[in-house]
Amino acid sequence: MSNHSDLPVVLLEPTAARPHRDALVALALLAGATVVNLLLDRHTTLMSEAMVYVLAVVLASYAISRLAAVVAALGAVLGLNFFFIEPRYTLEIDAQENATALLAMLGVALVISHLAAVSRRETESARLNERRARHLQELAMELANSSVPSDVHVLAQRALGRAFSGPCAVALTGQDNELRLGDDQQDIRDGMHACIRETAVLGPGTGRWPGLNAWYLPLKSERHIGGAACIRNVNARDVGGLEHAQAICALVGQALWRMKLSTSVHAAEEQAQWHKAQNTFLAAISHDFRTPLGSIMAAASALDMQRHKLPEPEQQRLLESIVGEAGHLATLTENTLQLVRLENAGELALDWQSVEEMVGAVLARVRARDVNRRIRSVVPPKLPLVKGDPVLLAQLLENLLDNALKYSADIIELAVSADSDHIILAVDDRGDGIASGEELAIFEPFRRSDRSGKRGTGLGLAVCRAIARAHGGELTRVARDGGGSSFVLRLPVEQLQPVPEPA
Amino acid sequence: MSLCVLVIEDDREIRSLLQSSLSVEGFDVRTAVSLSEAAAMLRSSTPDLVLLDLGLPDGDGSDLVREIRRKDALPILIVTARHQEAEKVKLLDAGADDYLTKPFSVGELLARIRVALRHRGTALAPSEKLYVHDDLRVDLEARSVISRGQAVHLTPTEYKLLSRLARSAGRVVTHRQLLADVWGPEFTEHTHYLRLYAAQLRAKIEPEPAEPRHLLTETGVGYRLAVD
Repeated sequence: MSNHSDLPVVLLEPTAARPHRDALVALALLAGATVVNLLLDRHTTLMSEAMVYVLAVVLASYAISRLAAVVAALGAVLGLNFFFIEPRYTLEIDAQENATALLAMLGVALVISHLAAVSRRETESARLNERRARHLQELAMELANSSVPSDVHVLAQRALGRAFSGPCAVALTGQDNELRLGDDQQDIRDGMHACIRETAVLGPGTGRWPGLNAWYLPLKSERHIGGAACIRNVNARDVGGLEHAQAICALVGQALWRMKLSTSVHAAEEQAQWHKAQNTFLAAISHDFRTPLGSIMAAASALDMQRHKLPEPEQQRLLESIVGEAGHLATLTENTLQLVRLENAGELALDWQSVEEMVGAVLARVRARDVNRRIRSVVPPKLPLVKGDPVLLAQLLENLLDNALKYSADIIELAVSADSDHIILAVDDRGDGIASGEELAIFEPFRRSDRSGKRGTGLGLAVCRAIARAHGGELTRVARDGGGSSFVLRLPVEQLQPVPEPA
Repeated sequence: MSLCVLVIEDDREIRSLLQSSLSVEGFDVRTAVSLSEAAAMLRSSTPDLVLLDLGLPDGDGSDLVREIRRKDALPILIVTARHQEAEKVKLLDAGADDYLTKPFSVGELLARIRVALRHRGTALAPSEKLYVHDDLRVDLEARSVISRGQAVHLTPTEYKLLSRLARSAGRVVTHRQLLADVWGPEFTEHTHYLRLYAAQLRAKIEPEPAEPRHLLTETGVGYRLAVD
């Protein structure tokens, strides 16, 4: 509740008894009436003086409690008797008619104060009901706008805190159906559990557990209980307060039920989507794996069955085909695994990496497939270090370079540069580019276009993008002026670079 | 007498392939399908080299590596699939000599075995005194480094790093091992030191620092000085 202490507190409870204030108000009014009567004494009759006192009692009845008003009526009669009825300044009454007048005045004062108190209570309770109704309406609107249980929790706490003066607590049930209670709330744990178990309000005035000094209310809707609330220091006769508390808890319970429903609908939708994606993925994967496997089977079975009939160069060609296709299969497996791992991985274990070193290591591997040294690299010295997973980043770069080697016959440029907060690696080729409409599809798993009629690894760019994003970076493709593609990887650079070595 | 290689591999196809490839090269090959079988075989006789597959059904192999290291300096080569960096580094730190990533060619395997055997028995004493590769010459006794015929001036830390790698020339040295040996055991997590010093070193000894030929990066594992 401390985080809402800045909000105006609007107590929606009936006015509490305040005997000192009531006594002061009654005394002041009676004293006022006495002074007025003393000032006007010469010009008025006893009847008028009695009326002034009655007026004071009526005014007092509007401001003070009923008991205090009765006492004030008695006080008015005593005052009139003491100050104005002969013999003055005694409580004696000399004439029979004066005694009758006093008794009549007492009767009038009592009746009027009773009527005033009744009308005041009705006004007060109407006002209280109106405030409570407005309050419930506000709560309902706020609940409708909230989307997570923690928001509902805060709103419920605040609503009860505004409505009741005693300490209030709200606890929600978690996924495991256990109440989430703070360590300082253990004393109300049993009550909360009991009201959930009995799905009923417990405490004074409810007929259940009347000995408690708190109400325990389940946050229930028709078919679900989302938690419980506890309001302490309550009064068994505060029927309106109990009804209000139940209304608040019902609203909160409904909001929680709505959230539970929407979560399960969402989960079901997600699962259906996942199954669909999984099926697409498996279908595509088996297609892409079958192709190289078919080539390997064909070549290997030919060697197995017809080795003696095949000329030496043909045997060699078949062997090379097996090695090449197996290599392709290995890359495909690699990328598939990586994609699955990236999707399931939580946080990557990132460490400081040198981009220059990474490029060197990747080039050392890629050069084996780049016998004509078509890749030209430009890496400026003294680049900042980046935080990354070295194996993943190397795979990203290797995939990009392999793609470029596959789809273009010209020079391929690998240019590294840095701006204030990114390192930018660009792999530029002069290949045929991407057909329009395919620009985004190339980054999706198994949605490759048949560029140049050559086969891609199917997953390469999807893996690359997933790796880039896992590093807080991005991989994009830009069409180059004059043909070809530029694949641009932007990796964030931390402003806080590590120090080389302690002095 | 031919050298004996113990191959620990649970996949039947790869096991028989390794056996035939190595037998053809004149090795006496023994095979084990699990860590427990290998441990039993090692108790009765000691091979000249162990080829250990990662991901055996009965453990990650680090206990076996440690057990072998307690008694012998024989070379241990790890065979791994990619995505097993953490396990690989763990075994290298436990005392394995080098690793090969599947799928590998027979040529690669034989080259690694040759390097490993050359270092046989050198894990305890720095018997490697001289490293020569192309135009780079590191003389560990004279503490001199010559690149393209010119003496190279290295800072003490750069020299420590280079000489540590030269003592294990041809073999991978893990980040952890390098940091512990060059900076001290309390610096084993400071991989950025290596990134920065490797770059400085390459600027001095590599003709083309962006495409190094001597000081090679083993991505995610460590560094290696190239041998022919």
